[in-house]
Amino acid sequence: MTAAQALALVAQAWLLSGILAEALLRRAPLARLWPQALALLLLAPARFALSVGARDTAERAAQRLADSLRGRLLRSAQALGPYRLRAEASGDLITQLVDGIDAVQAYFARYLPQALGAVLIPVLLLLFVFPADWLSGLILLLTAPLIPLFMSFVGHAAEHASERRYAQLRRLGAAFIEALGGLVTLRLLGAADRFAQHLDEQSEAYRTLTMQVLRIAFLSALVLEFFAMVSIAMVAVLIGFRLLWGELHLRAGLFVLLLAPELYLPLRALGALRHTRMDALAAAQRFAALDELPPVARPRAAPVAMAEAPQIAIDRVCYAHRGRTAALRDCSMVLHARRVTALVGATGAGKSTLLSLLLCFAAPDSGCIRVDGMDLTTLDADQWRARVAWVPQRAHVFEGSVRDNLLLAAPQADVAALERAAERSGLAPVLARLPRGWDTPLGEHGLGLSGGELQRLALARALLRERATVWLLDEPTAHLDAASTRAVESLIRGVAASRTVLLVAHRLSAARAADWVVVMSGGRILEQGPPSELASAHGAYAALLQAEQS
Amino acid sequence: MSASQAAPAEPAIPQAHPAGARNGPGGAAARSPVRRLLAVLDLHRAWMAGGAALAFLAAFAAIGLMAVSGWFIAAMALAGAAGAAINYYTPAAAIRACAIARSGGRYGERVVTHEATLRALAGLRAWLFRRLIPLAPARLAALRSGELFARLRADIDALEHFYLAVLVPAAVAVLSVLMALVLCVIVLPAAAPVLLLGVMIGGVLLPLWIRRRAQRDATRSVAEAGMLRGLLLDALRGHDDLLAWGGVAAHTARIDALAERLGGRRSRIERLRAVGGGLAGVLAQLTLLAILVIAVPAVRGGVLPPAELAMLSLLTLALFEVLGPLPEALAQWHATLGAGARVFELADTPPPFVEPRTSVPLPAAPAIVFEDVRLRYAEDAHWALDGIDLTLAAGARLAVVGASGAGKSSLLAALLKLYPVQTGRVLFGGEPLEAVQGDVLRRHIAVITQHTTLFNLSLRDNLLLAAPEAGTDRIERAVRLAQLEAFVASLPQGYATVLGEAGVLVSGGEARRIAIARALLQEAPVLVLDEPTEGLDARTVGELYAALSAVARGRTMLLITHRLSGLARLVDEVAVMDAGRLVARLPVDEYLARERGA
Repeated sequence: MTAAQALALVAQAWLLSGILAEALLRRAPLARLWPQALALLLLAPARFALSVGARDTAERAAQRLADSLRGRLLRSAQALGPYRLRAEASGDLITQLVDGIDAVQAYFARYLPQALGAVLIPVLLLLFVFPADWLSGLILLLTAPLIPLFMSFVGHAAEHASERRYAQLRRLGAAFIEALGGLVTLRLLGAADRFAQHLDEQSEAYRTLTMQVLRIAFLSALVLEFFAMVSIAMVAVLIGFRLLWGELHLRAGLFVLLLAPELYLPLRALGALRHTRMDALAAAQRFAALDELPPVARPRAAPVAMAEAPQIAIDRVCYAHRGRTAALRDCSMVLHARRVTALVGATGAGKSTLLSLLLCFAAPDSGCIRVDGMDLTTLDADQWRARVAWVPQRAHVFEGSVRDNLLLAAPQADVAALERAAERSGLAPVLARLPRGWDTPLGEHGLGLSGGELQRLALARALLRERATVWLLDEPTAHLDAASTRAVESLIRGVAASRTVLLVAHRLSAARAADWVVVMSGGRILEQGPPSELASAHGAYAALLQAEQS
Repeated sequence: MSASQAAPAEPAIPQAHPAGARNGPGGAAARSPVRRLLAVLDLHRAWMAGGAALAFLAAFAAIGLMAVSGWFIAAMALAGAAGAAINYYTPAAAIRACAIARSGGRYGERVVTHEATLRALAGLRAWLFRRLIPLAPARLAALRSGELFARLRADIDALEHFYLAVLVPAAVAVLSVLMALVLCVIVLPAAAPVLLLGVMIGGVLLPLWIRRRAQRDATRSVAEAGMLRGLLLDALRGHDDLLAWGGVAAHTARIDALAERLGGRRSRIERLRAVGGGLAGVLAQLTLLAILVIAVPAVRGGVLPPAELAMLSLLTLALFEVLGPLPEALAQWHATLGAGARVFELADTPPPFVEPRTSVPLPAAPAIVFEDVRLRYAEDAHWALDGIDLTLAAGARLAVVGASGAGKSSLLAALLKLYPVQTGRVLFGGEPLEAVQGDVLRRHIAVITQHTTLFNLSLRDNLLLAAPEAGTDRIERAVRLAQLEAFVASLPQGYATVLGEAGVLVSGGEARRIAIARALLQEAPVLVLDEPTEGLDARTVGELYAALSAVARGRTMLLITHRLSGLARLVDEVAVMDAGRLVARLPVDEYLARERGA
């Protein structure tokens, strides 16, 4: 299509120069020029169709590419697993996913077709210029290749600067999302204005960096423009003199003059898109880096067949987060079916880490978790999680209504099931207070929901998954008052009648409902046993109990 | 699903707002987004005007180059054919001058226009962030941070187009057309109407048509891009929940569906732009032909010198090159205005409080009084505070207990001047809160809330947010009192360690202790603790206890908790809340005795 466009251009120039030469030199009447004018008229829609078609094709292809790229990136980000995903600032990832993809899309939609045109069109046009006037052809032939040459000299420096600009853009994105998320904290600290200045400084740094890139990028445009303009001027002047001396026909001269700017046009357009290419390259590098982080997923194949509450044996499990000291050291315990096991200990004792392992968010570095004798790492993770109901410390609240947020656990649940779960979890009174009940939209971090309300939401979510045979609860009563706590405890007892329940708490009182208590500290298990026995022993449990009751 | 029909979670609460409080950058809220944008850009007038002037110089030189060259070639050919002499020095020099002016002008134009735009954008971004500060949290609760983020960053970036892709091309086009028309009138007045007609269709009607066609898609694509960001944010931040509940695939499908819809819109907009560009080319040819139809007989009749026919033809073609960006400019126009309108709408959200110009001085040991205070978060919501009368003498230490939802946090929201109260008033140090600037008030109250945000700064900078002037001694003392010494020692770079986004590398308990250290650094006469030990184990609470009672000494203290256990010794009195009301107030010993008896 690009070649056809170039040929149409040549035909137009040839016809127009013919008309002008006839009219100028012979003072031809309009009647003699009609055929050429008509041909000129017919060429216009052809060029139109070609240019629209070319852009449309490129745009569609780029769109498809961007879609698949976004999907792949999101998937590889997800494959990083929860721990590393949390470590990558999500403002940063968002910027990469959205802006980076846009940059790559622009590259494929605009830069690549233009790059093809920049090679093809000048060559084609030169093929026609040479027969018309070899001297002009020579000038154009000599100057045109100089343009990409100079551009690449300047381009290298610009490319380096562009990478820094992209890094700065990412930092800017992360800083903004953070400042907005923490705006209330900043106001309470009286630091909002000071933080605004911090953002100003970052914006200013971004401006300076961007201008550095652009100044260089524009410098390459200057070189290009200068060569293009000067050689057009040379061509015009030389044609003029040879016309004066009678060495050249006016039609050929006009033809060449009309084509000369068109020869540089695609190169110029390419130069204007240069930053598109640099942005796309920098983005692609970040994508590649993200892709290279090895995913934690291991081959898990064995189907999970358990209608009954399983027995879970944790056998000498060790685990360390990337770059931090070991979170779990040599932990062994058994979670019995139809029992409540409580895991208590100070913050950072490794309780939440153990939950992560049980959720297959990560695999033990050594040791083994067995579910009814099957190694957890060999089980199909998704099927396993379908059997698990999880009540996290702070449930993520998704964009959508209260109902949408609950249905995450069981998309097919009907109204009756929802009502039942709300009733049992204590969410019902909360719903009654919300302006639009089930349809109330929930915002980022469940704005409008207090910590206690959020916990009820998480409990209701878990209850909705009726076929779950394993319950994992992380501080389920942390934000609840005494009466609500008792209600939740009896709920957990009820749940445990047919399930395996693990409850994590930093407070011993929260473990009152447990049949078996495991006391952890610094990633190790200090002691375990039934709560009554531990209380009478003089171990860590008894010490904690005393500290709490004082 | 009902999510798509989400209404604002928090209907606007009627407020008295003097018009002066709603001023934008140099303008009032009633003005159109265009005029307000112009007002913003006006701050950088010199850069803007300079950029436009250079752009015009470059465009003028480009048109001049082709027109003079055309004339020159034709004149030389005619002179050659007639064997006549001709002054070729002047036109040849003019051609070279045009070539140089064109290259230099283009470079200058680009540097200056981009500098101007970036300056204006940086200013606008900072301005908007500062406008949002007084709106948090009362007026921003309904907005998702993903969307907020999209507004702040993407919308403002989109505004870049207003000057670069709309204003500059329009100014250049208008000036170029005027120059060309003047020339045309001098050379061949009969052709001027044709040229004007072609230019009007190509430069005005065609862009308007494209704008109308693109309007819907452009508006929606801005909104959908915001939604897409929100969904991506959910996918990444809520990944644990999605994974645990098996919702990853469904959520990813939602993202894909939205991305596809957005992609379709963008494709349609792009296609429309391509059509606009193509039609402009067709129009150039048609106009040229029409001019030839008029000019060729004029040459034959001797009205028009032949060389000027060549000039006129090339002038027409070059002029349409200048008009080329206009359809795209107007397609951009609407998307830009959509972004602009949203930015200004956000910025114009009336703040919940009209702060007094000057703040009354506050006593060093202030008492706190609630007088029949009622507060609710929306007009149709229940009363979160339903007639609170509460006096807290200077130096008093009071715990407020109650079930979740009893209104304890709302009590703080009213005291901290974060949410407006509907009836009654709150007095701080004898002054009604209306007379105290919120920032001044909050400087007198150190707060440890349920949710602590840590920023992507070093630990030191995170601590210094509370007291920028604090030296190493004060920081280390606060860290010691907050039981953070071991944590600091465990960090790879100590105080210089940068904490991850939302304090990712920091556990819940550590984050709370950093917040406590921050509050200690603030050295305020009033201390407010909102569930200060939530997430900390009994031993750490015990350790923290001494620090808390030390920092509470001599200060007025309000402790908000649903469970007093372990904190009883911090306070002298307990107030019990239920359903937005204060139902009992009694000495702590009596309260504990009553609890044990129950």
